[in-house]
Amino acid sequence: MNLLLLYLLLLKATLTSFSGLASLPVLRSDLVLRYHVLTDRQLNTAVAAGRMGPGPVGNYVVSVGYQIAGYPGAGAGWLAMITPAFVILLLIRFIGRRAEHPRARGMVRAIILAGAGLLLSAAVPLAHDAIRGPLPLFIASASLLLTLLTRLDAIWIVLCAGLLGLAAFSV
Amino acid sequence: MPRASLRDLSLLFLRIGNTTLGGGEPTIAALQRELIRRGWLTPEQFGVAFALARITPGTNMLAFSAAAGWYILGLTGALCGVLAVTIPSSLLVVWLTGICEAGAQIAWLGAVVAATIAAALGIMAAAALLLIRSQFGSGHWAIPLLIAAAAFGLRFLGLTPIEIIALAAIAGLFWRQA
Repeated sequence: MNLLLLYLLLLKATLTSFSGLASLPVLRSDLVLRYHVLTDRQLNTAVAAGRMGPGPVGNYVVSVGYQIAGYPGAGAGWLAMITPAFVILLLIRFIGRRAEHPRARGMVRAIILAGAGLLLSAAVPLAHDAIRGPLPLFIASASLLLTLLTRLDAIWIVLCAGLLGLAAFSV
Repeated sequence: MPRASLRDLSLLFLRIGNTTLGGGEPTIAALQRELIRRGWLTPEQFGVAFALARITPGTNMLAFSAAAGWYILGLTGALCGVLAVTIPSSLLVVWLTGICEAGAQIAWLGAVVAATIAAALGIMAAAALLLIRSQFGSGHWAIPLLIAAAAFGLRFLGLTPIEIIALAAIAGLFWRQA
């Protein structure tokens, strides 16, 4: 896939979302379903790789770019991740305090919520790929509950899961 | 107001952006503390940057970094802030992806990667649920639930995510809050 197209498709996903993983449904619809340059397994890998380290949750896009087109692809992903950030300079210039306008707030909240619903629907096929057997099912459910009910950071959950996987492999 | 050098600014963003766990919110909180303590950013500027970052597309923390850098040192500050926050962690992600890919050849590593993928999936679903809950704040709780459920349902009718986001944006214009 040509790098410019890859960048534009990733940018389309980051520009239409308002938080880390909310770009995933758009990204999956283009790269997995339409262009077939990415598999659900690779998308799962990208999300996991992003959660293994520090930095913004949105950095899974860098991993997606890398898996599609190597280091240049990672560069395209990185650029697509940071480009929307500079939109805020225009907002400071032209909107400033008026950001609290009810219509602007209503629109952003509706997009955030639609993004959450879409993320849940995108998680269904991803779960189909990742959850094969009782151990992944247990790990995914435990991670879901730990994230919902505790303030435990994702990196520790992912680390414990990795150790559990290793232990299960060794016995 | 003390003037920051480009070097100090980059070092601060480099340190906080790449060592704070937990994603955007804790990172913004850590930056807020440091930037205001050093007198580089006024609480008023922080307020505007924080409010606008939430309505800027993409990753909120990066938009916040761009805005803070902009207030401190103009366009160069914005660029340095965003680059310092993203480059090291992005390199790390590429490296971690390489390790995950190697899991296809090495059986024990494959088992570890499969387990972390299952965990990431659970975290992803939880993140979506927390996002819905975070919007319960003002107004009726049924409205946030309804919008998220509509997006979930529409996805199975063959609409693309972009079309659903556009529909939500239009509906949001008429969403009056209490």
